[in-house]
Amino acid sequence: MAQYKRLGGIMAITLAATTGLTACGFGGSTGEATGDGTTLDLLVPSYSDATQGNWDDVIAGFEEENPDIDVNLQVESWDNLESVIATKIQGGDAPDIYNGGPFAGFAEDELLYPVEDVTSDETYADFQPTFLENAQVGGTTYGLPFIASARALFVNDALLEEAGAEVPATWDELLESAKKVSDLGGGVAGYGMPLGSEEAQAEAAVWLWGGGGSFGDAESITIDTPENLAGAEFVKKMIDEGATQADAGATDRSPLFDIFVQGKVGMQVGLPPSVGQIESDNPDLEYSIHPIPTEDGSPFTLGVADHLMAFQNDGDKQEAITAFFDYFYSADVYVPWVQAEGFLPTTLSGSEQLADEEALAPFLEVLPDAQFYPSTNPDWQAADSAFKALFGQLDGKKSAQDVLTEIQEQVDAG
Amino acid sequence: MKDLAKALPWIGPAVALIAAVVLFPVGLMFWNSTRDISQSGVDDGGVGLANFATVIGFQYFWPILGRTVVWVVVVVGCTLIGSLALAALLNKAFPGRRLVRMAVIVPWASSVVMTTLVVHYGLEPYFGIINSFLVDVGLISTPEGYGWTRHPGTAFAWAMAVAVFVSLPFTTYTILAGLQTVPGETVEAARIDGASGPRTYFSVVLPQLRGAISVAVLINIINVFNSLPILRVMTGSIPGYDADTVMTMIFKYMQNQRQIDLASALSVIAFLVVIVIVAVYVRVVRPLEEV
Repeated sequence: MAQYKRLGGIMAITLAATTGLTACGFGGSTGEATGDGTTLDLLVPSYSDATQGNWDDVIAGFEEENPDIDVNLQVESWDNLESVIATKIQGGDAPDIYNGGPFAGFAEDELLYPVEDVTSDETYADFQPTFLENAQVGGTTYGLPFIASARALFVNDALLEEAGAEVPATWDELLESAKKVSDLGGGVAGYGMPLGSEEAQAEAAVWLWGGGGSFGDAESITIDTPENLAGAEFVKKMIDEGATQADAGATDRSPLFDIFVQGKVGMQVGLPPSVGQIESDNPDLEYSIHPIPTEDGSPFTLGVADHLMAFQNDGDKQEAITAFFDYFYSADVYVPWVQAEGFLPTTLSGSEQLADEEALAPFLEVLPDAQFYPSTNPDWQAADSAFKALFGQLDGKKSAQDVLTEIQEQVDAG
Repeated sequence: MKDLAKALPWIGPAVALIAAVVLFPVGLMFWNSTRDISQSGVDDGGVGLANFATVIGFQYFWPILGRTVVWVVVVVGCTLIGSLALAALLNKAFPGRRLVRMAVIVPWASSVVMTTLVVHYGLEPYFGIINSFLVDVGLISTPEGYGWTRHPGTAFAWAMAVAVFVSLPFTTYTILAGLQTVPGETVEAARIDGASGPRTYFSVVLPQLRGAISVAVLINIINVFNSLPILRVMTGSIPGYDADTVMTMIFKYMQNQRQIDLASALSVIAFLVVIVIVAVYVRVVRPLEEV
């Protein structure tokens, strides 16, 4: 038994010690400068399998025009992106240029360059004004609007016709049509409602804002309000009356949209890239794209803009960063990038170039009515994760009021 | 002292390695747990034990801790019983034993995340193979299947089943190794004395397995307590905190809420819990002593 004594002792110590590793993250510092020129570190998320290649093309073109600047590209999945950036900042190794969602926290910690300091006047003036406003913290723009998306209702025309249902414009019509489609049976769901952790905040916005509510503004996050309650209660009604797929509270968006593409869901809210997904996976699907139904039928869409931002670090790369942004946002470089990923452009020149693009038309139409997450509020990240963790509880015993209260509490606790 | 100086060149590298990969991260974890760290990772100063108060004051903390205990006890218990049976079987000579022994290793050889994902997809409504099977044989009446991984109770139960499945090989082999050290004479003596099969097993063989079993249980407790991937995959999309253990909660603090300080505080608590469990276990069962 002596061998157990030693083996057991060693393994017990090792395993117990690995507990300690769970919550510490340290990123190694990579990307030292090569040669005499400046090196820019670029940290970006992967939007699709083609993202890395698209960036490589941009960087190759840029390095050809600016031989004294090297660009280091690091691509991470969306799931890891935010822990990677937090780890890098904690380790004093922030990238120079970062592509992400929320940035108010970085601005608050005074880590970012104001956009006007790292772009030429022409580039800055080319952004859509609404998007610039959405990227400001305390009157200063910290994020460069990068790509935009809007939401719209994808409708399976074949299923609606079979069920004798109309394309809805209001909540009541949506409930009625969805129930008719659900009644077809055979596992068909009327309305696909993804309240799972993947993107619960988006479905929450679709319903709460569609009923006249909001998540607050740059100063305060307000979730627990009477306006929002109307939307939350209607979500509960949709679920309780069987208008949605089963287990709405724990269904993630992407897998559910796969089922829409397979033709088993009557209606679901989708994004511009969803068009491409249907095109490649099930081109025979009979579908059409409509504005999202709201309580009173007024037009509305959830707009999302991701941003590029420039970290100050040692403060010695301002010129190189400016050169990169000016190159990237020139229409000939920027538009192909946006198009390849299937999103919408945030620059005026980009919109002009894409004006006659048919697949994007339904989305460009609703874009003027877009509302955005209050992402410049430093508490938005807490709200975002509270929605992801808690909003799905509407599918269960908890009342709509309790769910909103719990989300608000978690946001306030920060 | 002189001996120590002489030994230093030999043990130095090992000590340095342990300091770098074990002591330093543990120290940093303790340090982080007393700091206020912003969401973007900037250290905003010390806050004493406030992070611990927040973590323990969280309304779901005690249910989560209780669920962690259930998780460890059920998984380790089922693993042990299953492994004892499997090891007893594999210790008998029968045609094809080598193949069966190889087969038992498979769950161990494949990635835990992969094994869990296979089961997870199998349980998906609409296209999961397990769900389709249950629908086809008529056990589930809804045509798209049942959302096993979308209800806290069933998702947790399936996660435990997967955890037992992946823990079996190691435990089985540890016990099998123990079985092979049981002297044949003792079993033979029992048989001559007229002891029945079960009596022989429980009174003669099992006591001699004490060393192997107690080491296997100790390692399993630590391993299962610290297991994240299975629960992460099986219960990841469930809203609220009704299917979380301490480990998935640490992960939620870190990944979803990006509160590295709270995640560190809960990790420290988990670390201390494991240390206490191991200390009590070692004291009571004395697994590291000779039989």
